[in-house]
Amino acid sequence: MKKLRTPYLVLMFIILYLPIIYLVVYSFNSGTTMQGFAGFSFKHYNELWEDTRLIDIVFQTGIVALLSSLLATIIGTLGALAIFRVHRRAVKGALLSLNNVLLVSPDVIIGAAFLILFTTLKLSLGFVTVLLAHVAFSIPIVVLMVLPRLQEMNPDLILAAQDLGARPTQVLGQVTIPVITPGIIAGFFMALTYSLDDFAVTFFVTGNGFSTLAVEIYSRARQGVSLEINALSALIFLFSLLIAVGYYFINQLNRRQKAPELREKVK
Amino acid sequence: MAMSFKKQKKGFTSFYMGIYGVWLVAFVVAPLLLLLVQSLQNQSHQFTLANYQDFFTSGSYLAMTFNSIWYAFLITVITLIFAYPTAYFLTTLKNKQFWLLMVILPTWINLLLKTYAFIGLLGQGGLVNSTLTAVGFHPIQLLFTDWSFLLVAAYVELPFMILPIFNALNEIDPLLTAASQDLGANSWQTLKKVIWPLSMPGVKAGIQAVFIPSLSLFMITRLIGGNRVITLGTAIEEHFLVTQNWAFGSTIGVILIVAMVITMLLTQDKKKGGRS
Amino acid sequence: MVEETPILEFSQVALSFGDAEVLKKIDLALEAGKFYTLLGPSGSGKSTILKLISGQLQADSGKIYFEGKVINDVPAEKRRVNTVFQNYSLFPNMNVYDNVAFGPRLKKLPEGEIKEKVKEMLALVKLAGFEKREITELSGGQQQRVAIARALANDPEVLLLDEPLSALDYKLRKDMQQELRNIQKRLGITFVFVTHDQEEALAMSDWIFVMNDGLIQQNGTPEDIYDEPINHFVADFIGETNIVPGIMKEDYLVHFVGKDFENVDAGMRPNEQVEVVLRPEDLDLTDIDNGKLVVTIKDQSFRGDYYEIVAVDDDLNSWQVQATNPATIGARVGLTFDPEDIHIMRYNESEAAFDARLESYDEEEAEAALQAARDDQDGSGGHD
Repeated sequence: MKKLRTPYLVLMFIILYLPIIYLVVYSFNSGTTMQGFAGFSFKHYNELWEDTRLIDIVFQTGIVALLSSLLATIIGTLGALAIFRVHRRAVKGALLSLNNVLLVSPDVIIGAAFLILFTTLKLSLGFVTVLLAHVAFSIPIVVLMVLPRLQEMNPDLILAAQDLGARPTQVLGQVTIPVITPGIIAGFFMALTYSLDDFAVTFFVTGNGFSTLAVEIYSRARQGVSLEINALSALIFLFSLLIAVGYYFINQLNRRQKAPELREKVK
Repeated sequence: MAMSFKKQKKGFTSFYMGIYGVWLVAFVVAPLLLLLVQSLQNQSHQFTLANYQDFFTSGSYLAMTFNSIWYAFLITVITLIFAYPTAYFLTTLKNKQFWLLMVILPTWINLLLKTYAFIGLLGQGGLVNSTLTAVGFHPIQLLFTDWSFLLVAAYVELPFMILPIFNALNEIDPLLTAASQDLGANSWQTLKKVIWPLSMPGVKAGIQAVFIPSLSLFMITRLIGGNRVITLGTAIEEHFLVTQNWAFGSTIGVILIVAMVITMLLTQDKKKGGRS
Repeated sequence: MVEETPILEFSQVALSFGDAEVLKKIDLALEAGKFYTLLGPSGSGKSTILKLISGQLQADSGKIYFEGKVINDVPAEKRRVNTVFQNYSLFPNMNVYDNVAFGPRLKKLPEGEIKEKVKEMLALVKLAGFEKREITELSGGQQQRVAIARALANDPEVLLLDEPLSALDYKLRKDMQQELRNIQKRLGITFVFVTHDQEEALAMSDWIFVMNDGLIQQNGTPEDIYDEPINHFVADFIGETNIVPGIMKEDYLVHFVGKDFENVDAGMRPNEQVEVVLRPEDLDLTDIDNGKLVVTIKDQSFRGDYYEIVAVDDDLNSWQVQATNPATIGARVGLTFDPEDIHIMRYNESEAAFDARLESYDEEEAEAALQAARDDQDGSGGHD
C-alpha cells in the first residue's frame, strides 16, 4: 500500500487544484474565453481594476464575513458556556440537537426559512438581513468548536482559582477564556469560512441593493464567461494561499514555543 | 463568599443562556415553525393540507424526490471512495497537518468560483475536450449532462468528506495497527478489521456533511447541469424565487427536513457496531 | 555456552534514529523456554530490541535469527512472536472474545476451535466468563489480562512483554509478576520481558540483560547481576549500593578509605584503580573498636522490616546500611563486613573480559574465601 501512496495523493491534489489552476492560468489569457489560450496578458486584471462594482462587492463580502464571524464567535462562545453549565443530560442533549439543526439543514431550506422570517418581520432585504443570516448560520459551528475545549478543561482549574479567591469574572477572564481560546479561534475561522463560502442563503435573503461575491458571480456566470472573474479568482487564491501558509508557520512556531505550557494548561 | 460566588455564576449562566436562547428561538425554532405554517397554507392563507396532497400525488415531484436522493447518494458514494484513501494516506505523511491544510484551502475559494471553473474545463473547447481531441477522440458534450453535475458536485464536496475521516483516522492509536500486525494481520486485514471500523464515526460524519448539502446544490444544477438535473433543492429555489409559490416551496422544505432527520437517525442509531 | 540453536539471536544489530544511536551493535542469544528480562532506564534501547524482534522496527545493520533463520525481512505478521503492549492496545471496537479471537480468526481456524481456544486462554489469565464484556467495561488489570490472552491465543514461540505492568498499582503488579511467571512455566515458551523496574526483573527472570545507552551492559542470572555487577551503572541500577574508589594492591587485597582489606577478587594489574561495591544489607554496625571503618550516623528511616541508615566515613564517603536495630544520629560507630561481601569493579572492563577474569580464579576464590573465613573466625563474627 505504501507504493500506492505517493501517486494516489499526487493525483488527488491535482484533482483538487486543477479547476483553481485553470482559473488562474486563464486569467492571463489575452483572449476572452476559457477555451484556448490566445496569449499572455494582464488586461483582465485591468478590467477588474476598473470594475468598481465588483470591487465594492468584494469589500462588502469581506465586511459581512468579518462582522458576522465576530458576532457569531461572541454569541457562540456564550452559547457553549451556557450549554456546558447545563447539568441535566436531557436538557443538554436537547440544546445540542437544536444547536445542530442549522448545521445539518440544506442551505436552500435555511435560506427559504430565513426569507419567510425576514418577510414576516417586515425587514427590507439587504445588508442587514444578509448579516443576520450569516451570524445565525455561523453560531452553531462556533459552539461545536468551543464546547469540547470546555469539556476537556480540568474542572480543578476553576476550583483552584475559586479557592485562591478569584471572583467569577476573574475566573472567566483569567482561567476559562485562556484555556478555550484555541477553540474560539478555530470557531472564528470556521465562521469566516462558512460566510465566505456561502451562496444559497445569501441568494435567498438579499435584495436588489446588496450583493456578495458568490451571488454576483452566479448572475454573471449565467450571462456568460468573463475572464475578469478569473483575475479575481487568482487574487483570492493567492490571498488564501498566503493566509494558509502564514497560519501554518505561525502555528508551527507557536507549537514549538508553547507546547509544554499549553499541555500543562489542558491537563 | 461561596454563596455569592455561586449566585454570581448562576447570574452569568442565565445571561449567556439568554443571549444564546434568543438566537435559538429567533433563528432556529421560529424559522422552522414559519416554514411549517407556510406549508400548511394555501395561496389565500387558509389552513390546508392540499400542498402535501399535491406533492404526494404528483408523479413528477415523487420522481424529483427520488432523483434528489439518488444523486445525493451517488455524490456521497463517489466522494467517500476517493476521500477515504486520501485521508488514510494523509495520516501517514510526515507533515500531515500541512497537507491537510492544503486539502482545506480549496474550500476557501467560493463554491461559485470553482463551479465557474468547470464551465471552462468541461466546455466545448475546454481542457478536457481539447485533451480528448489531441489524443484522437471526438470532443463530447460534457457540460449540461448528469455526469458533469455529479463530477462538479463530488469535487466541491470532496474536502468535506476528507476532513472528518482524516480526523477519525488520526485519532486511532498507531499501536493498534502494530498490535494487529503483531497478531498476524497483513495491511489489508488490518485496514478491514481495525482501521475501518474505528474510523466509522468519521465516515458517518463525512456522509452527513456531504449528503445533506448535496440535496440543495441548485446553483450547480443551474450552471453545470443545465437545468436537466432537477432536485428538490432546485424546486425550492424555483418556488420561492421564481414562481413565488412559497407555500408549496415550504412543503417541499418540510418534506426534505423529514427525509433528512430519517437519514440522520439511520446513520446515528447503530452506536455499538457489534456483530449479530 | 548455548548448545542447541538459540530460538532468537541478534548478531551485531544496530539501529539509529537520525543522529541518535538507539542500538550499538548488539549481540544476544535466547534459549527456548526461558524467562528473559531486558532491564534498563528509558531510552536504553530495551523496547527497541523488542520491536526488532516483533518486526515493528527494521535493523539498520546486523542480523536477527529466529530458530537459526535470518528474519530481518520477514514482515511482522509472519513472525511467530506476539507482543503484550505497554498500554495493552486492545481493539476498542471489539469485545473481549473478539479481541482474543483476532489472531485465530486470521488463521482461518474453524469457529468451534476458536471458541475453545478463547475459552482456554481466558481461563489461563483467570477471566473465564468475560467473553461478552466490552473493553471499556474492564479495569486496567483485566485489560492487561485480556492483552496477555490475546497474544497467547496465537500460540507464539516467543511472547514479548513491553513494560506490561507499569500502569498497574503496586499490589496488582506483585500479583501479576507471580502469575506471569506461572503462565510462562506452564506454557514452557520463551518470554522476553521489558522493564525499568529492577525489583521486578530480579523477581521474575531466569536471565537478565541490563541495558544502558544502546548497549547490553551485563547479562546473567539475577543472582550474578546482583552479586557481581560489572560496572558502576549496573551496580547503581540494580539495588541499593555503596560505591567507593579504591586501589587493588594485589590479588585478594584492596585499599580504600585509607585502609587495606582482604577480599576475594583477583586478576587485576597490581595497584590498579578500581571501584569497590558494598551492598547495604551486607554492612553491619558495631562498636568503634570492632569496626573495619569508623563512621558517623547522619540519618535513618524506618522501612518496615529494617532501618535504612546513612553514615559518613572520615573521607566523607556516604554509606547506606540496612540494620535491624535503630542507631543514634550523630553517634560514631564501627562499620563491619566480610571479605566476600566486597565486590571489585574495574573501569571500562568489557563483559567478555569480566567473564574470563571471573573464570580464571574461580577455584582459587573458593579456597581464598574459605581461608579468609577460617582466619577471621573470631575477628568479625557479626554477620548474621
